[in-house]
Amino acid sequence: MTTADIHALTGAYAVDAVPGAERAAFERHLSECESCAQEVRELRETATRLALAAAEDPPPALKARVLDQIKTVRQESPSATVTPLRHRDRRAIALRLTSVAAAVLLAAAVALGVLVVRQNDELDQTRARAAEMSEILRAGDAQVLTVDKGKDGRMTVAMSRSENRMLLLTDDLPNPPEGKDLQVWTGHGGTMVSAGFLTPDNGDAVLEISGFGDADAIGVTLEPDGGSDSPTLPAVMEVPLPA
Amino acid sequence: MGERVRRVREARTEPANDVGAELMQRVARGDEPAFEKLYDLLVGPVFGLVRRIVRDPAQSEEVVQEVMVELWRSAARYSPERGSATTWAMTLAHRRAVDRVRSAQAATDRDETVGRRDIGRPFDEVAEQVTTRLEQEQVRRCLRTLTDLQRESVLLAYYGGRTYREVGELLGTPLGTIKTRLRDGLIRLRDCLGVA
Ligand SMILES: [Zn+2]
Repeated sequence: MTTADIHALTGAYAVDAVPGAERAAFERHLSECESCAQEVRELRETATRLALAAAEDPPPALKARVLDQIKTVRQESPSATVTPLRHRDRRAIALRLTSVAAAVLLAAAVALGVLVVRQNDELDQTRARAAEMSEILRAGDAQVLTVDKGKDGRMTVAMSRSENRMLLLTDDLPNPPEGKDLQVWTGHGGTMVSAGFLTPDNGDAVLEISGFGDADAIGVTLEPDGGSDSPTLPAVMEVPLPA
Repeated sequence: MGERVRRVREARTEPANDVGAELMQRVARGDEPAFEKLYDLLVGPVFGLVRRIVRDPAQSEEVVQEVMVELWRSAARYSPERGSATTWAMTLAHRRAVDRVRSAQAATDRDETVGRRDIGRPFDEVAEQVTTRLEQEQVRRCLRTLTDLQRESVLLAYYGGRTYREVGELLGTPLGTIKTRLRDGLIRLRDCLGVA
């Protein structure tokens, strides 16, 4: 696809008319092309007017159902810092990318450094993970989330939905007691799917997750040796994932 | 982007966006009464939009419920710099409705006739609210400034939930042309409606 072609996709994209792989490619373009990003914002506001003109009264019973349901739905916590690497101002993108990338790479270095020292034969794997991390951060829709639980440790998640890839890093996580494992789960509208195990070394661990699909949350739980089929609550760490 | 130079600004009905943004911020802090107000403010257009795309009444209600609950769940993610709260909600509603109909099972009963019939009667069965009527009149008038191909492309994609490929097939028009008509049509609509 030529550059001229791709700019023309703003209209179709603003009304969700660009499917799958092409959408992911356009989203990468959006993170680099401020005029397209601005146009998409405006065309979405425009499309909203079509929705307002189509307003219809819903069945009154729907309201009670919704108000009932929210009482059982945990809200995303504003304290989980979500850093979308996409911004109105291109300079701001660069600055944010640099500082966020630096923070995450620092966290990765802390986690991976331990592995390097202790297990020299895993150096290649370490390099592969550093490459993985920078690839994720280069994706147009890269986002970084951090959860800080103080003495109970920290978790950093770098993810890209278009790439369907994620890197989970922890530091200062208390070691699991004898006979227990730290299992990672992705949440899909309330269904939890195992994504692997963390093997912390001095509290630091890293896990690469690809193909997480529509996951809307990620969490770490303490499970009996070898893991469980469903998570044991409460979770050690959990964070909602941005759309 | 030369189109923007020719932009004509017109008076427009304010869809109470500031109210929405303020409510979203309260909702993000777990304020249930604020969520109830937000629900009242947004559910009409969310329902109208989802109904047009999903069609089946029971499934439409499911999607609307999903969307409203998602607004509650992810309110903390909303930030006014990224657009109005109304647009945040409608973008989510459109995406969810489209996801629903594009999942294979619903595809069968969405044939060409249904898509086309919708274009002819874009504003039936609507709430009898003054703001909605004003909005409708203005949108209808602005839609008339589009060429037929621009208008049909925009309506099939937005109210019909079609991909631009499907729009191209339905209108028997090459894909490159559809892409540009969609963009040109929305830009013309933007300028006519005075969307900043
Ligand atoms: Zn562009």
